[in-house]
Amino acid sequence: MSASPDNPGRPAGREPSNFREFLSALGEPILYLTRTFKELVEMFGLTFYYMVRGRTRWRAIFEQLHEVGNRSVIFIAVTLGFLGMILIYQAGYQAEQITGDLQLLGGLFLQLLLREFAPTITAMMIATRVATGMAAQIGSMVVTEQVDALQMCAAPPVDYLVVPRFIATTIMMIVLTIFAVLVSYSAGALTAYFSFGLNVRTFIDLSFIGWFDLILCLSKALAYGMAVPIIACHAGLNVSGGSEGVGRATTNAVVNASLAVVILDFIITSLGYVALSLLPS
Amino acid sequence: MHRLATTLQAPFHWLGQTAMSWSFNAGGLALLTFQVLRNLLPWRWQFDGPETWRNLYRVGVKSFPIVVVTAILVGAIMVIQSGLYIEQYGAYGLLGWGAGYSILREVGPILIGLMFSGRVGANNTAELGTMKVTDQVDALRALAIDPIGYLVMPRFIAMILMMFLLVVIGNFTALIGGAITSQVLLDVNMVLFFQSVIAYVLLDDLLHGLIKAVAFGFAIAIISCHFGLSTSGGAVGVGRAVNASVVGSAIAIFVLDYAITFASL
Repeated sequence: MSASPDNPGRPAGREPSNFREFLSALGEPILYLTRTFKELVEMFGLTFYYMVRGRTRWRAIFEQLHEVGNRSVIFIAVTLGFLGMILIYQAGYQAEQITGDLQLLGGLFLQLLLREFAPTITAMMIATRVATGMAAQIGSMVVTEQVDALQMCAAPPVDYLVVPRFIATTIMMIVLTIFAVLVSYSAGALTAYFSFGLNVRTFIDLSFIGWFDLILCLSKALAYGMAVPIIACHAGLNVSGGSEGVGRATTNAVVNASLAVVILDFIITSLGYVALSLLPS
Repeated sequence: MHRLATTLQAPFHWLGQTAMSWSFNAGGLALLTFQVLRNLLPWRWQFDGPETWRNLYRVGVKSFPIVVVTAILVGAIMVIQSGLYIEQYGAYGLLGWGAGYSILREVGPILIGLMFSGRVGANNTAELGTMKVTDQVDALRALAIDPIGYLVMPRFIAMILMMFLLVVIGNFTALIGGAITSQVLLDVNMVLFFQSVIAYVLLDDLLHGLIKAVAFGFAIAIISCHFGLSTSGGAVGVGRAVNASVVGSAIAIFVLDYAITFASL
């Protein structure tokens, strides 16, 4: 994926054959991916360990809650609001052409928003806004050897840096997802009213959603909220090579976090589909 | 007393600073767009050839795997999501239309655009920002090499062209991913899926997505170059610039998407 491990020089005195080049080109990304995955799992375990064992730093958690949550509100409102407008515009146009019946628009939109768009797009936005910030911040701390200094003071970086970010992002992802549903739905309702003349009362239709949709939405938000900070902090803590390394780490953080969101989305959606087909309807 | 005065001033200070930075960025973006478009005029046509090839490779080939992976997963997710509705009404013949329409028109370009801005835009800002912070841009200027022609134009051309090509590839990969999912998970025949795509999805839908791809590529290129070239403040500044560039690209993607959707229907 973003697999760009630094190419170590070829061992001297050995002529590379095409076949060997092919094998190394094939194996290198796989090795990189497995190594990264192992490190991420390790870090996840370590974070949980320190969350249980370590001291709770309320001040740091509140700072991060502000950084992740409050400062993303406008960004999330703009992007998700536009998303709601776009989706309703497309869907309403199709519905008008095919059936001419706009009654179901609001209900189905809410269902789709909960199941798919609100958690996933919110998480992608958090991955761009927050993950880059975290990776850059921790990365420049690593470059200026502040992390080593922390370690000298017997403050493990995972405990001191990762845990507050992890807790704050997990909480805020859920809160922001709920906020995103509200914003997107209101933007959609306004679009339906102004573009198609659909009454707002008809648009607000809760009859399609059930517990399944809510659980799916919140479990997606929870999974993304746990994955994004771990990936961002991992990218930040593994910076090497000065200020260029910081740039590379921010890129890695946003790419890997977005990719993790898409992969988790796929996994949870298919699990939800299997669960829904097993449930007696 | 002094402290009270500072506390009272703080919101105004913040407001003024925000307004200043917004107008700085808006002006910078407009200026950069103007300079790039002026460079595209035939009699001022000026950009570095080898640099352009290098950027085409870096932007396109290096982003290929991530776009393919994203597209396959997006296709699969869209098929599962529309499959839930299709199963309710038993309209299996419409599965290809539902997935194809949403992928080609909306979800494909948006998600590939977000991935592209994360992978290429962020990288670009970081690179240009590092050059700026280490005074390499000034060095270029001192050698009488125009930074627009040497740094911005190759990236601009590479990003627009490659965004277009990557969305073309992404669309087809997403459809293949959707077809596999419909066969494996939903038990809907792959052939039926593709027949439904061919029968109901119009050329219009594809073109709509491709116009969006070009617009997103344009926006990401201009925004990432602007924030890269106006970086200040060392390694921390590079991080801040990358953050601002990715956030700006995401907002631009959604706003442009709305504008194009609104204009074309």
